[in-house]
Amino acid sequence: MTSNTSTDLRQAAEGHRPSAASRGVYEYVVLSAAGLFAIISLYFVGSIVWQALPAIRHQGLYLLTGTSWVSGGATPALSKFGGLSMITGTIETSLIAIVIAVVVGTGTSLAINLLLPSWMRTIAATTVELLAAIPSVVYGVWGMLVLAPLVISTVGPFLNSLPGGNAVFGTVVAGQSLLLAGFVLAIMVLPTYVAISREVIGAVPHELIEASLSLGATRWQTIWKTILPTGRVGLLGAGALALGRALGETVAVVLVIGQVNQLNFRPLQPGVTLASWIASQWGEAIGSDQMNALFALGALLMAASLGVSFISTRLVSRQRSLVNR
Amino acid sequence: MTSVSGITDPQFEDPRLLPAAMSLRDVSVAFHGRVAVRDVTFDVPANRVTALIGPSGSGKTTLLRSLNRLHDLTKGASVSGTILLGDTDIYQGGIPTTVLRSRIGMVFQRPNPFPTMTIYENAVAGLRFNGVKKKSVLDAAAESALTSADLWDSVKQRLNAHAATLSGGEQQRLCIARALAVEPEVLLMDEPTSALDPISTKRIEELMVELKKRVTIVIVTHNMQQAARVSDLTAFLLMGEDRAGEQIEVSPTLKLFSAPEDQRTLDYIQGRFG
Amino acid sequence: MTVTIKDAEIREHLRERSVATLRRRTYISGVMTALCWLAITFAAVPLVAVIYQLLRRGIPVIVKSGFFTTLPQQPTIFDANNTGGVSNALVGSLAVIVYAALFAVPIGVLMGVYLAESTSKFASLLRIITATMVGAPSILMGLFAFEVVVQQMHVGFSIIAGSFGLAVLVLPVLATATEIAIRNVPSTYREAGLALGAKPSTTSLKIVLPAASTGIVSGIILALSRAVGETAPILLVIGGAYAIAWHPNQAASALPFQMFQDVQSNYPSLQNETWGIALVLVGAVFIISFAARLWAARKKKVQR
Ligand SMILES: Nc1ncnc2c1ncn2[C@@H]1O[C@H](COP(=O)(O)OP(=O)(O)O)[C@@H](O)[C@H]1O
Ligand SMILES: [Mg+2]
Repeated sequence: MTSNTSTDLRQAAEGHRPSAASRGVYEYVVLSAAGLFAIISLYFVGSIVWQALPAIRHQGLYLLTGTSWVSGGATPALSKFGGLSMITGTIETSLIAIVIAVVVGTGTSLAINLLLPSWMRTIAATTVELLAAIPSVVYGVWGMLVLAPLVISTVGPFLNSLPGGNAVFGTVVAGQSLLLAGFVLAIMVLPTYVAISREVIGAVPHELIEASLSLGATRWQTIWKTILPTGRVGLLGAGALALGRALGETVAVVLVIGQVNQLNFRPLQPGVTLASWIASQWGEAIGSDQMNALFALGALLMAASLGVSFISTRLVSRQRSLVNR
Repeated sequence: MTSVSGITDPQFEDPRLLPAAMSLRDVSVAFHGRVAVRDVTFDVPANRVTALIGPSGSGKTTLLRSLNRLHDLTKGASVSGTILLGDTDIYQGGIPTTVLRSRIGMVFQRPNPFPTMTIYENAVAGLRFNGVKKKSVLDAAAESALTSADLWDSVKQRLNAHAATLSGGEQQRLCIARALAVEPEVLLMDEPTSALDPISTKRIEELMVELKKRVTIVIVTHNMQQAARVSDLTAFLLMGEDRAGEQIEVSPTLKLFSAPEDQRTLDYIQGRFG
Repeated sequence: MTVTIKDAEIREHLRERSVATLRRRTYISGVMTALCWLAITFAAVPLVAVIYQLLRRGIPVIVKSGFFTTLPQQPTIFDANNTGGVSNALVGSLAVIVYAALFAVPIGVLMGVYLAESTSKFASLLRIITATMVGAPSILMGLFAFEVVVQQMHVGFSIIAGSFGLAVLVLPVLATATEIAIRNVPSTYREAGLALGAKPSTTSLKIVLPAASTGIVSGIILALSRAVGETAPILLVIGGAYAIAWHPNQAASALPFQMFQDVQSNYPSLQNETWGIALVLVGAVFIISFAARLWAARKKKVQR
């Protein structure tokens, strides 16, 4: 039986022994697919920067520091496109999202690895993947139709009733706000963070956990002094990956942030992000100098998210090589 | 001294007659209902070295880990019987697990210093877990423990280097120092030299003989020469019919290796199986 | 370091501290453990909440007659509940994803093969590019598709422009899935092939790729089923149309696109309609990924 199979294999191998040319074809095809992707990637970066250039030329630093966004229409010289509110809005919502996602996600990963019985671990892992499979527009609709009314009726008034609540959080007017956007983003990037952090925490060698406990450490001391420090590089990478996703999320943010071009710093106030502004202004901008300004915002977003994405993949692979040493 | 049949050395003392640091009574351990160790009963003499020997899979590690309740982490593991530390039943809630584990230290088969900590931080990790913050005490304890583990002289110049920069033998001695720093009454060692070269092994064996003045040692080894060299009392475990480890004989080491009571012990030490 | 403290003092201090801090340490550990339980509960709540809303508000919408088969209607003041169906969006979504797959699957898989098999410098550079591109925001794919398809290729707002955006989005995902599937094939397979005298390319085509095919196919299905729900890459370029369209050059609607439009309308009936579309999208993604996983697991068992 075994010898039969190997003869078959040999015959198959000989029967199909490729000529030098056909071997070349296989490798050529595979390589050219790879090359095509490299070209597409370069072209992707290039065309966004290219379309951004006119705006960068005309607006200059105002793109980064300005706060008004007015189109001059037929006289482009009158156009003013300032992206400061979008930049701050992006940073604020991503920050809220990442803080919530890292705290909740780390706790979740610890619970999955250390607290749940093993049969529930698979269920939890699948659940996390299901969360990641829900389209972002669905989260946006949920945030807009279900959560925003809650912010008006309950969360906002509660935060405002705290001492200094109005000064810190801003007075609630609509449910759509930086806070709600940050919260919805947190839910959306949580699966990304947990997928990696679960793996990182699960890969901490069991011997280290036992060493810690055998010295008389409590469970939390073991987590805080042994597990988290051992996984810190990977957890940082997971956080960066989640941050990259939060920075670039578009449609869900449009629906829950309020889409107001204002420089706001209080969580209950509405705002706008780079991505959400591109999406919402697109219709009126096509073909005009405003479109180039939106491309410029896109280029900024691209620089930030590709940078963060690059760093995160480096960190995660460094953690893998640390643990597998 | 009482006479033990087969031993003629007038200096010989029977460790079984010494005060017990720990006592095991009918100790059984099962994983998901499958018994891995059954009905082990013996006393661990204080300030002596007790060796657990037996073929691979006979439950040595399993028994050792029941002594500091490390099985609490393993889902599906259950320990029955009675294990006393002094007069305290360690499984009856008389003592919190964290306190128990600071009184019973452990050294593992593979050196496992904390990789994110320096040599110094490793040495004092247990003290910090136990709430010691005073720098002067930590410094003194680090020096004392590293000296006891025969490591001080080679690392005193590089206490802030990472533990991973040490050799395997040094790492294992660091782990011993880490365990000793908490001043345990009992030190459990699970094949502590199996991952080490002969020279490192020799140093650790010498260390054990030195250390028993201040701590009771229980060591698992499948190296019979090692058991003969370092231990005072030896417990021999063997798998029974259902592959559960059973205690065949617990005898003074000298006697077990010269005139064992049980035929199966003789077979084992003569290398007839396992 | 000179020792001025005796071992006995250390021991005494240690015991004292150990006892003094025991309650606090145990308490903190208990609280933090409870917080971990709270975290995992908190993480599960949105899933339950979203699914609950989808079922409660979505089912009445999709059982409405004509939801899948009629064109959308604009509600009027005389008939505020006249929302029509989603037939055009359904067809549009299918068309967009099919064209995207035609473009992305071959390139993505071949590129994944290259990444898995090549050890060249270019391959390691490409691995970095791929990993980075996985994190590129999807709205940028919309801008890119606009620039390339709508402007440079003069196609205009169209299905194919949306497909292009989606294709660029899923390409790195497909390549990574393929690379992982191939790497998971035991190296003995390849070695056996080479030992029998087969050329590396033959070994890849006849032995390694078939062995990896289950992983590759399920990776493709998972990536594409998720791409169907993507809004941002198509939002800027698909045009939006109230008629059935499947020709690549036609403007069209798509399910997530229509959701995004309807939820922002002023008619509660149109807003409510989005729950139905959401249910269809989420239901489809869940069922497809579940089936793909089950199929892959079954296949694996048979192979053993
Ligand atoms: N965590 C565990 N889960 C299930 N079975 C275990 C576990 N640990 C040990 N065992 C079983 O207990 C038996 C004894 O193992 P062990 O104590 O490691 O033997 P030894 O240390 O003497 O080589 C073995 O049959 C092993 O399979
Ligand atoms: Mg063992």
